[in-house]
Amino acid sequence: MSWQIFLDSMPELLEAALGTLKMTVLAFLLAASFGLVLALVRMGGGVFGRLASLYVEVVRGMPALTLLFLIYFGLVPLGIVLDSFPAAVVGLGLNGAAYLAEVYRSGIQAVDSGQREAAQMIGLRRPQIMRYVILPQALPTVLPPMGNYLVSLLKDTSIASLISAPELMLRARDLAGTYYLPMEYYLLVGAMYFIMAWPMMRGVRIMERHFSRGRLQGGT
Amino acid sequence: MKAWLTVWDLLPTLLLAAVTTIEITAGAFIVAVLLGLLCAVLSTFRSRLITFLIGVYVDVFRAVPVLTQLFIIYFGLTEIGIRLDPLPAAIVGFGINGGAYLSEVFRAGIASVHQGQMEAAQMLGMTRLKAMRIVILPQAMRVVLPPLANYAIGLLKDTALASAVAAPELMFRAKNLVDKTFLSTQIYLAVAAIYLAMSLPLSRLTRWAEARAGRGRR
Repeated sequence: MSWQIFLDSMPELLEAALGTLKMTVLAFLLAASFGLVLALVRMGGGVFGRLASLYVEVVRGMPALTLLFLIYFGLVPLGIVLDSFPAAVVGLGLNGAAYLAEVYRSGIQAVDSGQREAAQMIGLRRPQIMRYVILPQALPTVLPPMGNYLVSLLKDTSIASLISAPELMLRARDLAGTYYLPMEYYLLVGAMYFIMAWPMMRGVRIMERHFSRGRLQGGT
Repeated sequence: MKAWLTVWDLLPTLLLAAVTTIEITAGAFIVAVLLGLLCAVLSTFRSRLITFLIGVYVDVFRAVPVLTQLFIIYFGLTEIGIRLDPLPAAIVGFGINGGAYLSEVFRAGIASVHQGQMEAAQMLGMTRLKAMRIVILPQAMRVVLPPLANYAIGLLKDTALASAVAAPELMFRAKNLVDKTFLSTQIYLAVAAIYLAMSLPLSRLTRWAEARAGRGRR
């Protein structure tokens, strides 16, 4: 094998890694905001609350890949044709929203109910209570699983290559096919994912430890 | 309407493929549990080298997408003369990947059992391994079962990626049928429904078991 080939394809791979990061950030923003809406609507109850619950159950019950295919291929007969990159962002974002909705809910429920009662006592309205009292206190519970989600999202963007969205894995498949060096290219790309994901994993672990300080630890 | 009737006719094919999905899930689950247990038990020996090696295994396989790992195993290994069929490649790929995840789960489970249990068991003349098998692991199960079940559900959904290495499972069959019939909306919706039909009972069962196991604690 010749190293020159790898050196030559490095700029291409780095550009593709940027695509991966861009997709990760956009899908994360969609998932984080839509997930919060879902969580709040769900806890509001009523018809909409039930619909939000249904959404969470259904989307969490199917593979992200199936959702991507539904959005990218399944909408075409209905006249909705999305480019592969936006389709991937929407698919991964909608998938992540269902997951994060659960995370937010458990975070909000972890805040002591006395906080809500006290806030009502001093005359805050419901949205104010949520915004100034509940959500800030839910943050320490919510941040570590959000970090974990971000790491797994970064890795999951690789499945966007299966709908030909321009990111790292797709470029690796192209190059591996062109030069017929699958082992080298997939290992190289694996290393690139590792370089991106590992520091994030470490960061999340540090964050977990930071937030669990002073709380009761299970076991020894 | 006619399209849905066609999908109705295709349903047996899809359900048969779902059986393959379950086979991959079960196979990979067994591999992952065995690997995870092995790593967790080995790391209780507190050898620096073993701990380091397991740490590398866990970090590497958790920081790299499982799709990349599948491609290395299925396409990469052919380059050095190891040609695996899609099905075993998927089982090995998901199994090794899951082992890295489960080793952490089992380790936490073992750590949750009070150290006195191991000491007492050794006092009674048990070897470390025997104490692990008879005393520690059964008690660790309580902590381990919920994440283990969640892993199984996640794995079931992840096996959809095996379609990318041409393993004849649900997603792969669906893609083939879409290529033939162009009924992408109907077929992928049917596939989503089949995955739901498999994963929802599993997650309900898990939640029920968790609630049951949680009773009597605290």
